Amino acid sequence: MMDAVIYPVNDFGPLMKGLVIGGLGIFHVFTAHFAIGGGMLLCYFQWLAMTGRSKSARIFMDGYFRYLVLISFVTGALTGVGMWFTSIQVSPVTIGLMIDEFHWLWAVEWTFFCLEVVAGYAAFKYGHLLTDRARLTLLALYSFAAWMSLFWINGILSFQLTPGAWLESRSIWDAFFNPTFLPSLLYRTIAALVVASLVAMVLINLAPAFSRDQREELVRRAAWLMAPMALMPVLGVWFVAAMPPDSREWIMGGSIAMTLMMNIAVGASAVIGVYALVGLLRNKLYVNGATATVLCLLAFAATAGGEFVREGVRKPYTMRELLYSNSVRPDQVAALREHGLSESDPFPLRNEEELPKVEGKPHPLLRTGGLVFREQCSVCHTLGGVNSLPGLTKGWDSDMKRQNFAKLQKLKPFMPPFAGTPYELESLVQFVEWVDQGRPGTWPEPADPGDHADRLVRIRRWLDEAGTQPALTRTGQSAKGGR
Amino acid sequence: MTVYVVTLVIHVVFMNYVLAGTGYLAVSYMRTGGRNLGESAKVIKEWTPFLLSGAITAGVAPLLFVQILYKQGYYTANLLLFNRWMAILPVLIIGFYALYLLKSGWLSRRATWVASVVALLPILSVAFTGYSWTENHLLSVRDPAFWGNFYSTRAQIYTEPQLLPRLLVWASGSIPTFALILAWQHWYRGDGQPTQLARLAGSGLFLAATAAAGYYLVTDERTRMAFVTPLAVPYFGAACAGLIAQAVGWGWIYRSARLDLKRLIFPTAGLLLTVVGMTVCRESVRIAALGPVRFEALFSIHAEAFSKSGFLIFLAFFVLNAGLIGYVFWLVRHRTRSPETMDAALVPGE
Repeated sequence: MMDAVIYPVNDFGPLMKGLVIGGLGIFHVFTAHFAIGGGMLLCYFQWLAMTGRSKSARIFMDGYFRYLVLISFVTGALTGVGMWFTSIQVSPVTIGLMIDEFHWLWAVEWTFFCLEVVAGYAAFKYGHLLTDRARLTLLALYSFAAWMSLFWINGILSFQLTPGAWLESRSIWDAFFNPTFLPSLLYRTIAALVVASLVAMVLINLAPAFSRDQREELVRRAAWLMAPMALMPVLGVWFVAAMPPDSREWIMGGSIAMTLMMNIAVGASAVIGVYALVGLLRNKLYVNGATATVLCLLAFAATAGGEFVREGVRKPYTMRELLYSNSVRPDQVAALREHGLSESDPFPLRNEEELPKVEGKPHPLLRTGGLVFREQCSVCHTLGGVNSLPGLTKGWDSDMKRQNFAKLQKLKPFMPPFAGTPYELESLVQFVEWVDQGRPGTWPEPADPGDHADRLVRIRRWLDEAGTQPALTRTGQSAKGGR
Repeated sequence: MTVYVVTLVIHVVFMNYVLAGTGYLAVSYMRTGGRNLGESAKVIKEWTPFLLSGAITAGVAPLLFVQILYKQGYYTANLLLFNRWMAILPVLIIGFYALYLLKSGWLSRRATWVASVVALLPILSVAFTGYSWTENHLLSVRDPAFWGNFYSTRAQIYTEPQLLPRLLVWASGSIPTFALILAWQHWYRGDGQPTQLARLAGSGLFLAATAAAGYYLVTDERTRMAFVTPLAVPYFGAACAGLIAQAVGWGWIYRSARLDLKRLIFPTAGLLLTVVGMTVCRESVRIAALGPVRFEALFSIHAEAFSKSGFLIFLAFFVLNAGLIGYVFWLVRHRTRSPETMDAALVPGE
């Protein structure tokens, strides 16, 4: 936002933007995992059928494939495009930087999408007409392409949290094969197998054609795909160990929301894992449709928790060390402290007519405050809904707000440093108080220009004390103050 | 730019089939209620879900490259249209599922008017998506001062005089593409009615030429001149030559009432020339709308993007996966079971 280009910012009303992209992202990831694991499951079942190990496998495959096509090829594909569009709505600078860096790798992923769609449709539409070996080949190609799309996107997404050696080398391969690439890839591969297996168990129970014996056999076969869950704790620990130390702190109690979501992910995965490994595989229990559905919902909860944490632990960045959540780059903060941004924003404040007037014009402090909120805060905070700024600062007096905003990264290490002039910070304080007081029709001007100047001096001092660096640097150590 | 144009051409071919094909389906259902669909309508019903999938997948690549080529304009237009723009996603999902519903046994047991309404959904959703893209495109090339004013109005619908003529050129131009792919499908199956297909393609060519003339009349001088810049003029010539080749080719098919390889190659070459030519001309119009200062300012961004590693690996995987896709077609064509081993009970319904 702060570079040469400033983009318009939309108001999502009471919804936090992160919730919108997170909600869509969780749904998309779940369907994508289903597509990837589903391909592997189909390969396994085709092998069972063609080697004579299971007669029911062949019958089951066609019904399962139909759901795979209807869910993954339609909703999965379109929510994938939706993720791109939503990313633009939430943070065009972030997605722009990602595309600048990784466009050729994204293009590689696209070539695998093409293979996935063609091989998948061919296997679905013509599989029953082909020789067993040819059908298995098509399914293997489909699975390979689906997994390779995960391979490429996983490198790009994990870079956002752990850019690793790229920070020094600027090599795309250092960026791609970053410290969390491998644990994340392996973890997601197992998660995909689990989702595919659980969906299969639901469908096995829904299919009227099967006898109880056939169902038991198919459930037992599908359960084997969950066996790799035994590795999940190791991979989870590996992933957490590879995370930056400050991000690790957020999930270890540093941020209540992150810790809670992490616990949901771990807890849900543990329940599924124990049920699968002990109940289904060791004790050869049967799972009925209701239980399979509950397990599926738990898998969705685990996906939701995991994706929430993956997005959240990057705070205060969207691209670690490169770009803060509010699209300010760390190296821009010092300049913005001097010159501000609100004056150069080409997009007017939309609700300017609601502001109290001073000499017939919108209240200058409130107008600037509205712009500062829009530019720096609105990506994560609302004015009256989820994570609202007036709500979070309720009970703080004006000076507390000034000091806390000025020393934001010290107050909460997952917040970026304030990137504006003292006047802009004072404007933000006034704007938040005006909103908190129900947007009254009149709002006082600074009564005494001397007082106002004193406030700005105090704010400048606090800003200087906080410095322009984030609370924690790449090594995880506290940054020193100063500019 | 080259990669963008090449991938956009692939997307356009799929998109044209889906737009005109869903229109054809809607008309067929209105006339028959889905009870006695013609041969072509059955083929379209069978294949359009896959081709819509293809259109969406093929669209991912140009969507990627447009973000590098015209990032500021594209992102700003997305943001300004906001919810209206995002609406294409649920609308497309509805249209997509409606296509599958048309293939289902459930719909065949419903009243004919229900089937007709369901058959309308895909064309409406695809047409809405096309309209939205044109709207987005035209807004993306407006000057930044206009964007500021548009933002302050909170409007989420953008229109200008050339929007409808542009849409009509594209929509009518989709008919010959659709007719040709359908003709190839019938050729492969060994059925189809050549004269009907030729009439359909001929109507499309006539409508596209008429819409293009209308577009020429309502558009401004700058846009007209964009077709005859040194960059665009050979492509514009190729597009016109392609139109003539298509007309001649379809005339040949009409007179002979036969769909064979020799006769189909002529309009196919013509179509390729037209689609590539018009896609380049479309970029020329965009560049003219941006003006030299704004366009030249993008050069350094494009150079920076091209300098990023990965092009060769993209090329390698492009070739590899194109080969694997070819292998998939080969498998389907050459590795069918013998009738004795075919298990008739395993035919999946969709």
